[in-house]
Amino acid sequence: MRGKNIKSKDKHILNLANIVGGARSILYQKEDLLAYDCDGFTIHKHLPKAVVFPKNSQEVAEVVKYCSENDLPFLARGAGTGLSGGAIPLNEEVIISMVRMKKLISVDLENRRAVVEPGFVNLKLTNSISDKGYYYAPDPSSQYCCTIGGNVAENAGGAHCLKYGVTTNHILGLEVVMPNGEIIEIGKDGIPDAPGYDLLGLITGSEGTLGIVTKITVRILKNPEGKQTVLAYFDHVEDGSQAVSNIISAGIVPAALEMMDKTAIEGVEAAAFPVGHPKDIEAVLLIEVDGIAAGIDEQIEQILEVCRKRNVREVRAARNEEERARWWANRKTGFGAMGAISPDYLVQDGVIPRSKLPEVLRRINEISDESGLRIANIFHAGDGNLHPLVLFDARVPGESEKALEAGSLCLKVCADVGGTITGEHGVGIEKREEMRFVFTEEEIAAQTEIREVFNPHNLLNAGKLFPTPSRCVEIKKEMKAQAIS
Amino acid sequence: MSVRELDLKQDPPCTSGLGNYLWSDPPDEKKWADCVHCGMCLESCPTYEQTGQEQHSPRGRVHLIKSVAEGKLQVNEQFMDPVFQCLDCRACTTACPADVDVGGLIEEARGQIRQAMPLTGVKGAVSKFFLHDLFPHQNRLNTLGGLLRFYQKSGMQKVVRKTKLINIMPQHLVVMESIMPEVKEPVKKKYKDVKVIKAKGETKQEVAMLTGCVMDVMFSDINESTINVLTRNGNDVVIPQNQTCCGALHVHAGDREMGRKLAKQNMEAFKDFDKVIVNAAGCGCMMKEYAELFKEDPEMHVKAEEFSDKVEDISKHLHDTGYEKPKAEINTRITYHDACHLAHGQGIRQQPRDILLDIPGVDMVQMPNSDRCCGSAGIYNITNPEMADAVLESKMENVPDDVEMISMGNPGCMLQMAMGVQKYGRNQKIVHTVQLLDWAYKKEDCMKEGE
Repeated sequence: MRGKNIKSKDKHILNLANIVGGARSILYQKEDLLAYDCDGFTIHKHLPKAVVFPKNSQEVAEVVKYCSENDLPFLARGAGTGLSGGAIPLNEEVIISMVRMKKLISVDLENRRAVVEPGFVNLKLTNSISDKGYYYAPDPSSQYCCTIGGNVAENAGGAHCLKYGVTTNHILGLEVVMPNGEIIEIGKDGIPDAPGYDLLGLITGSEGTLGIVTKITVRILKNPEGKQTVLAYFDHVEDGSQAVSNIISAGIVPAALEMMDKTAIEGVEAAAFPVGHPKDIEAVLLIEVDGIAAGIDEQIEQILEVCRKRNVREVRAARNEEERARWWANRKTGFGAMGAISPDYLVQDGVIPRSKLPEVLRRINEISDESGLRIANIFHAGDGNLHPLVLFDARVPGESEKALEAGSLCLKVCADVGGTITGEHGVGIEKREEMRFVFTEEEIAAQTEIREVFNPHNLLNAGKLFPTPSRCVEIKKEMKAQAIS
Repeated sequence: MSVRELDLKQDPPCTSGLGNYLWSDPPDEKKWADCVHCGMCLESCPTYEQTGQEQHSPRGRVHLIKSVAEGKLQVNEQFMDPVFQCLDCRACTTACPADVDVGGLIEEARGQIRQAMPLTGVKGAVSKFFLHDLFPHQNRLNTLGGLLRFYQKSGMQKVVRKTKLINIMPQHLVVMESIMPEVKEPVKKKYKDVKVIKAKGETKQEVAMLTGCVMDVMFSDINESTINVLTRNGNDVVIPQNQTCCGALHVHAGDREMGRKLAKQNMEAFKDFDKVIVNAAGCGCMMKEYAELFKEDPEMHVKAEEFSDKVEDISKHLHDTGYEKPKAEINTRITYHDACHLAHGQGIRQQPRDILLDIPGVDMVQMPNSDRCCGSAGIYNITNPEMADAVLESKMENVPDDVEMISMGNPGCMLQMAMGVQKYGRNQKIVHTVQLLDWAYKKEDCMKEGE
């Protein structure tokens, strides 16, 4: 580890180090900063000015206040597993890493809520309360290491959000450091549905552009009494897609309904958690139902029946918990697994009406053919949340650009069929321009005006979420300035 | 940094490097090509857990190693820090969805660093003493063992402890001194003139045994137990006298040249055998990876791969070839610690547990995060005491309160965990898996004799 002395003459580095408690809590040398030049979105890389590691809300507030008074851009970062570039320092930001604030502050089983610090890892919450029969529902695939603070910023989803909702449905209260350094509390004591505007809803999913969350009260749920998972192989994507629609329209609300296509299967099978999916099938479905034990067998029977009617090649329920866990590990490590078949990937996050699934997949295939890049599809089929993974090699000149373009075209398809450009990964840097597929200039301007209320100087995580420059805003500002003068 | 920069300017002996890696045998591009920076490795990493800093995380390290190849970084002291803080515990390899060989990359990068910046001064002397002058030379190790034996037996140990002479040692060495096992005669020496230690009863097969350097000096009783367990289960055991240190410590420290030398000697020493049995996870893992050292020598590469196929951990060997279940009871509550180089390095998790559970009377309590590194990591606890201590503390928090013994399959872990027991006022006995099995056999024999 680095020594106890700061080897920098930069006054900001020295002052920031003072706030967070010395050399062990700040990084400022290029060799260290390089590890922070991107997050899970690796196409844009930028070095931060420094990374600080505060221990508590007060230190966060002081760092924020210092940055804001000294005109230093800054942003918050959790585990850096985000897939849209939300934690990438585009403007040489001071990164405020939240990972040392990783305490589980309290668990209140009676009222089914827990209070965590933002650096607390998602899965650890479930692991800490599972012996008492409780769990935390939002389960992004990166839940082994992503932080709940990051989940709030991105309004993270996950396989089981089909039935249980995304992060915003599980947040009861937040402590937030505002961009001027003020600490505020929203949803005091975790009482849901406070009167007035839904500020919790506004902050959750604001991608770190409105404030920095330093304490989170979440809802925890009782473990379902029973749980069963079904695996189904289809020779044709159309049949798989139809099965998805049929399951939902049969009145079943699965806890999760996941789909992977042929290329995705090739990836997960070549990687660390293979389960032996046949190589020649076009789609695999993973369907989980949970709830009161009594109804589960019946639901499973119904699901098997629907799949058989849709020409399933093979369908069966998990034999035991171990097999179920293996199926999920295979699915949940799916993105990282692409590394086994491609040096780089870019994941998109479109949402479409379920009924459009076959059509959209067809058009994504065309995009793949035209770009010459392979596209794997892993998605939460139940809620129509698609994750096309564009496989490319950044070392080949021009291929990154091609991948970005292909990803963008996939989102265009989603928007064109009445869907939208992100379900759970956020806009970040990646989908800024694509915001125009779903919002008019006026709508975007209205949103940036909301940001200005919280973050007037745009020092906090600037350049994310909205296309820049948003012409309307610029024009309006100019008009305002002219009016004043 | 200026001195280091001077070091860098010396002419590299080879120009076949990659980016800013100027020496031969640079980190392998194919290894990082699989990393997509997803971050699934973060929580598996003990140094990330301690620091929260990504340059001390697997994906951060891979990112930096790649950056040197891309010419964005130099091989300098700043780069050295994250690369040498790695425990080489391989937990990230288990966690990684794409099977990125982070451990292999780290070792290759260390090789480059050590060539760019040879250790000088006290550190260099200490490292040279351990890695070149001590570990490869069994006779010197034996001498040291003899001295230790003398130290313990003669009452010197008591004198040193009583007179507070011990207080002049650095703190982490004091604790290490206090847990030093009683040193007995090394088995390699003991069986010097025995060509084959015959199986008791019918011979099923002949195996060669690696006695190891630390193992044979510090824990020769475990080697003794290994021989007993092997011969009891139909194995003729041969201890080739020209075998040497496996080289793991050298390779971890970046001395790949010495690693190759030792690897060659061992491959020669064991060439006539179909199976090489190892009871130290670290050695077994190294010997299974000899081929990594010969990437630039296709002929040796093939030979090393063939050799590695023959290397097997004792627990896997027993499990796969069958063993007699002991009939005597050892009534004890134990827990099992997964040595990193068994669990993450060789994928051996269930076999040792099965052996322990086959001993009547053994009550096994699951240790949470049992495959988390204990901080021993070769000689990491000597080179990076501060981090090793922090890692050990978090390990000890997971040792269940109500167990009498902690079982494992690696001597480094045994020393480190013994230190943990001592330091945190616990009272568990540290045992090797085969020791327990051997004790059960012995008890059974005693009972038979009693009848």
